Amino acid sequence: MASEKYRELMEEMKRIGRIVFQAGLNNSHSGNMSVRVGRRILITRRGSMLGFLKDEDIIETGLEQDDSGISLASTEVAVHRAIYKGTSALAIIHSHPITAIALSIVQDEIVPIDVEGSYYIRRVPVIEFEFGTGSKEMEEVLPKYLKNYRIVMVKGHGAFAIGDFLEEALHYTHVLENIAQITWRVRAMGIDTRQFEREYFHKW
Amino acid sequence: MAGWMGRVVRVDLSSGEIRDEPFDQDVWRRFLGGRGFGAKVLWDELRPGVDPLSPENRLIFAVGPLTGTTAATSGRGSVSTKSPLTGTITDANTGGKFGVIFKKAGLDALIIQGKAPKPVYLLVSDEGIQIKDASDLWGKNTDETTDLLLEREGSRASVACIGPAGENLVRYAAIINEKHRAFARGGVGAVMGSKNLKAVVARGLRTVEIADKERMKFVTYEANKWLRAHPITSKGLPEFGTSVLVNIMNEAGIFPSYNFRQNMFEFAEEVSGEAITEKILVRKDGCWGCIIQCARRTRIPGDEGEGPEYETNWALGPNCGIHDLEIITRANYLCNRLGIDTMSAGGTISCAMEMTELGYYDAGIRFGEGDKLLEYLKKIAYREGIGDELAEGSLRFATKHGHPELSMTVKGQELAAYDPRGAQGQGLAYATTNRGGCHLRGGYLIGRELLGVPRMIDRFSAVGKGSHTAILQNLGAALDSLVVCRFASFALNEIVWGRLLTAVTGVKYDPEDVLEAGDRIFNIERMFNVREGFSRKDDTLPRRLLEEPAPMGPTKGRVVELDRMLDEFYEFRGWDSNGVPKPETLRRLGLEECLNG
Ligand code: SF4
Repeated sequence: MASEKYRELMEEMKRIGRIVFQAGLNNSHSGNMSVRVGRRILITRRGSMLGFLKDEDIIETGLEQDDSGISLASTEVAVHRAIYKGTSALAIIHSHPITAIALSIVQDEIVPIDVEGSYYIRRVPVIEFEFGTGSKEMEEVLPKYLKNYRIVMVKGHGAFAIGDFLEEALHYTHVLENIAQITWRVRAMGIDTRQFEREYFHKW
Repeated sequence: MAGWMGRVVRVDLSSGEIRDEPFDQDVWRRFLGGRGFGAKVLWDELRPGVDPLSPENRLIFAVGPLTGTTAATSGRGSVSTKSPLTGTITDANTGGKFGVIFKKAGLDALIIQGKAPKPVYLLVSDEGIQIKDASDLWGKNTDETTDLLLEREGSRASVACIGPAGENLVRYAAIINEKHRAFARGGVGAVMGSKNLKAVVARGLRTVEIADKERMKFVTYEANKWLRAHPITSKGLPEFGTSVLVNIMNEAGIFPSYNFRQNMFEFAEEVSGEAITEKILVRKDGCWGCIIQCARRTRIPGDEGEGPEYETNWALGPNCGIHDLEIITRANYLCNRLGIDTMSAGGTISCAMEMTELGYYDAGIRFGEGDKLLEYLKKIAYREGIGDELAEGSLRFATKHGHPELSMTVKGQELAAYDPRGAQGQGLAYATTNRGGCHLRGGYLIGRELLGVPRMIDRFSAVGKGSHTAILQNLGAALDSLVVCRFASFALNEIVWGRLLTAVTGVKYDPEDVLEAGDRIFNIERMFNVREGFSRKDDTLPRRLLEEPAPMGPTKGRVVELDRMLDEFYEFRGWDSNGVPKPETLRRLGLEECLNG
């Protein structure tokens, strides 16, 4: 469990975790999230339910160095650490938004066609990895993308969103899933959505 | 070359030599321009302990790669030097059009050193750079100087000059451009005065090359879309000017008054943005090319000018217990003509007022005495009587009379219009600025703690504030080096700035590269200050803010929990517990030049 001095952040993690689950951005046990404070990180426990986080589900460990907390932390702690070291992020949410995952399987970038979506996100790159969860490759590649984008998709797997606050990462995640849903529904009407994609968004 | 003009000129006023410096592209890419370039020059060229008012000190006028382009709020200019007020590195940033015309003269930076044997001004134009006689201008105020120089050099020129305060080495003298705009803080005007340099006049018609015009058009469109949509940049600032903040901060209980004895002001309404609009506004105005238009063209009986801006309004008004908008405005105009930083002037006079009220020292002025305020500003500029002591700033004045705790300063520079007892992160930001008390260089935590930009965080909590502060400091350092206005960042984040920078220069800057450049700049400034003897002991706040609970309103009972935040801040930055950047931090940022400093 994290130190009591981080009480406010722990409560924030519980609040955001609940929303992520309730919004269907994760299933009962999928996904993870963390925040950075100085050179410490608070991260969700391996196998914890983001929608029902308790104090003991929030693990504190070092940004660089392991301590006993590491044995309980999410399997993706190394990816979180790599992202913090490679960017200025203070919060990370890893989620599994269903429609965005579906789109990521069939295309190599997600570009908004709706007004709200294009207000916040112009382009979400889709990255393909040979090995998924917690791989070394992800540790190396994800921070490079996140230097340039606040949210990226791992093909067929899920989204990684960063921000200065959990709420910011949550917002990006939500916007991405909304974009994906709108795109999917327009396509369901038999309409090619590419005509609505602004050319420059592809170069953003 | 795209973005940058590719030209740096050095002027030695002692010898009269003017020469082109090699343009090191790597330096400009790493430090961007403006404040960043200034910091690099000061680190490389100043020996530690140099007297800021000696010929050895450098005064560096610089612009950035976005200056004079269609990028939002890019009509600004920057000057850097070692401050005679704080002894730290400092930079000051101005609006108007001086920065743009300076760049149109074909320059990225002008490094000034030495001391002219007699008063001179510099003409910087696309036809060349000249040192010209200013004997007849010495003693004149900034309005008169500007008019005479425009007559002499043509009305298309832009004049940045000092007034009597700069000539008389008032430690917080400003440089005034276009009569109403100021490179305000840290005594940059005194450094200019110490060099016998009355003015820099810029004139030119060159254009800035853009690497990718199509992309620039698109990103500019996107950026302007955000500026037009954000309530602060599209409504609050244009409709009410920066004083839109008066009522907001007062209601939150963080609007200091009476030299921070109170954290609210009972007459706030009378000096609010709404009151300015209703009583003295002629029209709104703005810097070159800016769509926000936050400046106020104002009129009072017998006079007309610009302002007061929020900080000026507060410093010369509520912080001195004054709520007569006409007097505050008159004092603002006077400061501009005399060439004084309104914030340090107000902070110094309010300190003198409190000394008098408490019977510690009779400075002859008490809270609320508006007429005397005007008289005291003149005394300061001309160093007459008590003005000579007050021209040294509140810390030197209060220390001389045995009560340094009444100087509301950090590292000797007067604080801004936010009481950090109700905004913990802002307290840390004040304490850790590289140029002394400043709400901007320390990181504008008010955005997150009070205005919800981009998200609201708990203003009374100390947790996590070290990390937020460092990130905002880095972003701010980058923006000051680009050189753009801080107000744009209410709506635009580093993603947009990175895209603009890439389009203009053709060099790829990811958003994180922008923040990293800011980190590098903040760290080289810190190393400059460390070399001058600054450390953790100086990263502190006036005793009042650490020990005296705020007396009223929603902030009642709070003090700043500084130590807790400071540890997290140093850790996040990769500094040791004494506030010195670790070698691995300097290496990570590519600051090899600082490793043996
Ligand atoms: S927002 Fe105001 S100060 Fe900033 S550039 Fe625009 S007019 Fe100038």
